[in-house]
Amino acid sequence: MTVLSTSLLLTAALLLTHSCYSAHEHSSLSPTSAANPSTMPLDIQIETVIAALLALIGIVLSGGKDQLREIQQRVWMGRLEREKGAGPWSMLEERVGFLDIRERRREFGEWAKGGK
Amino acid sequence: MDEKELLINPVVNENVIHNQKSVTDIRSLTSSVLGVAAGILGLESLTGFAFYLAGSFFVSVLMLFLLAGGQPKSFFRGSTEIWTHEVFGTTSLSSYVLTWTLFYNLVRA
Repeated sequence: MTVLSTSLLLTAALLLTHSCYSAHEHSSLSPTSAANPSTMPLDIQIETVIAALLALIGIVLSGGKDQLREIQQRVWMGRLEREKGAGPWSMLEERVGFLDIRERRREFGEWAKGGK
Repeated sequence: MDEKELLINPVVNENVIHNQKSVTDIRSLTSSVLGVAAGILGLESLTGFAFYLAGSFFVSVLMLFLLAGGQPKSFFRGSTEIWTHEVFGTTSLSSYVLTWTLFYNLVRA
């Protein structure tokens, strides 16, 4: 839920509630019969449509960036490695058994002595 | 898509399923909202279904440009999936009719 979608949804809910109440008041106050059906006032119609459109945009945006994921494996793996630092095969790239402990020790020694 | 194409450009199956699930979720939520709007507007018979089709088309356009970035090919196997997936499915069309009739009767009680 992003801030934008939440505010859109809140606005839409407010407008929709208001238009629903207005429509109910209109239908209960205006005399109608089968021969003379009352039409909804234009402002209520416009308000309803705008509220629906805002709600649709809010719902579509509510999932954020993760809503759709790339299905091409190379694109998806690239995105994983760029954003999370590792794909599903990270255990193949970081193998502790192959760690060169002497090299690491030498690097640490140089760093501790004040080299770069 | 033939087998050779799949071997050259592998597809992540989990993401295909995830995308379809996302579209299904969006469709079921938006169809309820469309139903509320149709009920308040007091649409009847074919007008209501035309409203649903127009609303679903708008949702498809929104998904195409806001979520897929104008490139549905990189998120869906089929090229028409973003337009048609779950439009007439059980979760979306029936929830549209449900909220449509509910709000129609609530407003005009």
